[in-house]
Amino acid sequence: MFDRDERAESSASTAAAAGPSASLHMGTSPLEAGLERARAGAAAWRERSGHTPPGRGASDVALPWLLHVPDVGPTCEVLLADRLFHDLRPAERAGLLAFVRGTQDESGAWLDAHGTPDLSLTALGWWALRDAGDDPRADHMLLAERVVHRLGGAQRANFAVRLWLAMGGQIPWAWLPAIPSELFLLSPRVLLSPARFSPWARGVLTPYLIIARAPARLQLPDASPLLLPHNDGQPVAPRLTRPGLAGDLLQAFDRTVKLSRKLPRGPLPRIATRRALAWIDEHQQGHGGWFSVRPTLLSLVALRVMGAASGDPRLRRGLDHLRQSRGQARIPHGRGAGQPALAQGVGGRSLDALGRLLACGAQESEITWLLRQELTQRGPWQARADAATGGWPHEPGATHHVDVESTCAVLHAFGAQPEDSSQVTASWATARRGLDVLLAMQEPDGRFSRFERGESEVFMQGLPWTDADLLAHGRPDDSEHLRVTARVLTALASAGFRADDDRVGRGLRWLERTLEPRLHEQVSAGALSGVAHLAEALGALAPSNHGLRRELEQRLRGRQREDGSFGAAVDTAHALQAFVALGHTDVQAQRAARWLTNHVMRTSADELDAWSRPVAWGLGLSPAGFDPSAGPREIALALKAYTAAGGR
Amino acid sequence: MSNHPELRHSHYDVVIVGAGLAGCATARALARADRKGRRRILVVDRYRDVHPRFSGELIHPRGAQILDDLGLFSSLHAVGGVEVGGFAVFENADTPFVDLSYANVPRERPRGLSIHHKDLVRTLRRDLRSDPIELLEGWAVADLLREGDRIAGVVLEGKSGRHEIKADLVVAADGKSSTVRKLAGIPDDGRETIGFTAGLELRNASLPRPGYAHVFLGAWGPVLAYPILREADGTIRTRITIDLPRELPVKGPALKQHILRTYVPFVPAPLSAEIAAAIQAHKGQLEMAPTVNLPAPSAVMPGLVLVGDAAGCSHPITASGMTMGLRDAETLGVQARRRADAPEGEPWLDAESLRRYRSEHDRYVPTRQALATAIYEAFRGGEDGSRAIRRALFDYWGSGDTARSRSMALLSCSERRPHVFLSEYLKTARHALETSLVPQHASMYPVGDRMRRARGAAKLAKNKLGLVAQVMWAQVRPGWLTRIESR
Repeated sequence: MFDRDERAESSASTAAAAGPSASLHMGTSPLEAGLERARAGAAAWRERSGHTPPGRGASDVALPWLLHVPDVGPTCEVLLADRLFHDLRPAERAGLLAFVRGTQDESGAWLDAHGTPDLSLTALGWWALRDAGDDPRADHMLLAERVVHRLGGAQRANFAVRLWLAMGGQIPWAWLPAIPSELFLLSPRVLLSPARFSPWARGVLTPYLIIARAPARLQLPDASPLLLPHNDGQPVAPRLTRPGLAGDLLQAFDRTVKLSRKLPRGPLPRIATRRALAWIDEHQQGHGGWFSVRPTLLSLVALRVMGAASGDPRLRRGLDHLRQSRGQARIPHGRGAGQPALAQGVGGRSLDALGRLLACGAQESEITWLLRQELTQRGPWQARADAATGGWPHEPGATHHVDVESTCAVLHAFGAQPEDSSQVTASWATARRGLDVLLAMQEPDGRFSRFERGESEVFMQGLPWTDADLLAHGRPDDSEHLRVTARVLTALASAGFRADDDRVGRGLRWLERTLEPRLHEQVSAGALSGVAHLAEALGALAPSNHGLRRELEQRLRGRQREDGSFGAAVDTAHALQAFVALGHTDVQAQRAARWLTNHVMRTSADELDAWSRPVAWGLGLSPAGFDPSAGPREIALALKAYTAAGGR
Repeated sequence: MSNHPELRHSHYDVVIVGAGLAGCATARALARADRKGRRRILVVDRYRDVHPRFSGELIHPRGAQILDDLGLFSSLHAVGGVEVGGFAVFENADTPFVDLSYANVPRERPRGLSIHHKDLVRTLRRDLRSDPIELLEGWAVADLLREGDRIAGVVLEGKSGRHEIKADLVVAADGKSSTVRKLAGIPDDGRETIGFTAGLELRNASLPRPGYAHVFLGAWGPVLAYPILREADGTIRTRITIDLPRELPVKGPALKQHILRTYVPFVPAPLSAEIAAAIQAHKGQLEMAPTVNLPAPSAVMPGLVLVGDAAGCSHPITASGMTMGLRDAETLGVQARRRADAPEGEPWLDAESLRRYRSEHDRYVPTRQALATAIYEAFRGGEDGSRAIRRALFDYWGSGDTARSRSMALLSCSERRPHVFLSEYLKTARHALETSLVPQHASMYPVGDRMRRARGAAKLAKNKLGLVAQVMWAQVRPGWLTRIESR
């Protein structure tokens, strides 16, 4: 992990101990000066991310920076897919390869965002470098190969890696789970229908049906060294199902499906393929992509397999979207840690991060831009959510999928506008629609889903497939749903909803039920960003004597260090936000604010920009990543909230 | 003779406590009933001018007709009262409003009246002075005189001390926090402060349906907007009321910010921007009044009658409080006319008159209260069931003119036939079940969600059965039961 925290923190702590900075602006308090500096950092990130401020053209921003830096997976897959598309420019290829090389750990492995060697990432990294011409006998390649073998061989990697291996002719298609094409003929109301998968899974499995049926074949370099062989030299076949009777039965079913493909089945497979293709056509979004990068890549491959020429506008738009989703990123960890390189994002610029950046202090034209990003087309999320079209997607230009987290962030940005802004009244109508969308995304048990209702409770997820988890978007009670529910409740509370509304009450009860047994994991040891969201929800909706609220507060207080910080600057900022949300500007909050102020005044802009903790708001097979704008952004938001609450 | 120069007599036929709408209208109704001018009527109010807190300002056509019959309408209209054509109800700011027009209600005036409360009270008091009625301002009731179980007068307290006034009948028209009611020991069981209403005035507001009262839903509580005054230069002043919860989330100056953030966005543009500007420009704190639910107490006891809000009040969402006060005045006037020739030595309004008043009063007040409670609950939409009822109401109102006119007749206190009330209830319940099962936007709405909504609607409808039965009973209740109770 790229971690400059300790160094920066120790210098900041020393500075904090040395007293107020001598470089403070004349006439302003240290708090105000710190807030201004953090705001300036956030504004710089807005520009850097390609969000062009008024009066400047898009061309002024040479190459935008990613607001969410995922693992190396999407970058590797784009490099591999270019064998088919031939779309990468030499500079882009070099930049992406630099990211892949830079993120390789000294051990030879590619790590996930939490710093753990990852089999799938390592296999993809090795293959992308092999494709770029690296000698497989070179040290870094051999190290990676050993890591892959140690972790079970590429055949045990995740679905995406096995799909690429199958497309590259490295493993038989039988090593991938069979998707009966008849599933695509089922009514969307049927539990087994792909319409009941999470949107990411649908985006991946629909093109997969076409790709596997064709089947697709890409000219990719030999990856057989990554496959763990038997003693006879033949690669070990992976088990597609979990151990146990149910798994065995499912494995037998899988074989039957695959065998039945060889029998004449009439027009059904053809009709299913046609439906899948029509689905791909229909679900290409306004910006050219599908749900995110992996669905986009696979949809483009599927289109190509089905005969789309390289000049096909669908392909062109999709490739352009992939290009726009790339950006500069500091390499988070590995040999090139801290160096800038070109990385492939999991989607376009995150409206969630952008919304929070704009909440630090947006210009009117930026709010106008946010208003234009509202969803105006009916999307698949409305199948089970009873709301009119509205809300915001994950990224600008997306037209089909609502993202509850982005919607919360945008509503937060609207709420942070100065009272005299001309955009205040203009944002009301869109905010109303956004609130309706948030309410409609509530599940019967009280939690809120992020992209679609039912996204984390897919019927087929219960079957003992090894890849079954891919079908759903997380688990109903995971950290993401805790965070999403807390954020939605906060947004609703800001709009005047109270716990006496049954929907809010239900959400609050779910939060209590889910959080209480996991307070240690979520609050005492969990990410402080999550704690801040929980504190905001409880602070806004629960009375001050509420048991869970008090417990959360006590545990939060217990995490403060001697110097007033809570660890890294971002964590301290989140903790301060939590204090303010709980209604405290007391001594502990003051010490945190003072530490942050000193930190922000004595830290270089580059250091402020550095991320500190992995964030769990990735997508699909890249569930975690890094949030590089979090430093100045969260500090600005924390100091702003602290000042508004009367903190000194 | 009284020992106070402002009082002409020490004994009156009727002393009316409270010179607001209900008190003044009652005084006028009684004065008109006394064709031979034999009766002495005294009206007392604790404020020399008007009550400083803003209060009811909208009168339905039924009430406007009573004002007209009492000869008060034209003077109120002349000082700037605005004729109101009905209600424009917005389910949310993004959908067209439902036009609940008074004109569709059969056998009623096509318009109600809306007037600034302070102008209303000043005009009524001015008009009273031309009647053979004594008006005493700046005096509060400190106690009641009793003769056995009967109320026999009041003890007034003013700057010059206390004075006893004897009366055959005391009429308590002193509002929802009636002092007379408390002094008489009439229990106000079930009295509950529902919340608060914040008030604001706008000039030339851009009402979506000019000349109508507006109800905007979507925020925590409804926002109402209605014209209250036409000034000499043609400027229309509009009242905005904002329904706030009992436990105010913030107090003091922060309340304005809270309203700006959580209520104003749910009002359609451009009115929302005008309200926002008015709140920002408003100096000091916003006018506030508590909203109270007071289930109708016994409106009569020997020597005492309660009228207006003193005899029961509910949330102002149906704007029926003033109309009810006027109906009380009218009913009491009818009884006074019946007894206009009562011989000397007998009270003008005897026990039988009061029993008849109570019998009539007990028919229309529970209906009004039941409707106000149900409509407020549905308009707030705090739970699945009430949201289903709200959706059902709009769905029902969208089904045709007949549905709207029948609802409007009930809401504006023009309809009291029990079968109409029952049929409206059943239709709304049916629509609630239907709309619960059929989502508005979702194409594959899960069955579990549909059933949850339907269960909520059914539960609410079931809970309201007692209320419906109570209202139905109030309408069909035989008069002799009141007589037995009075004994």
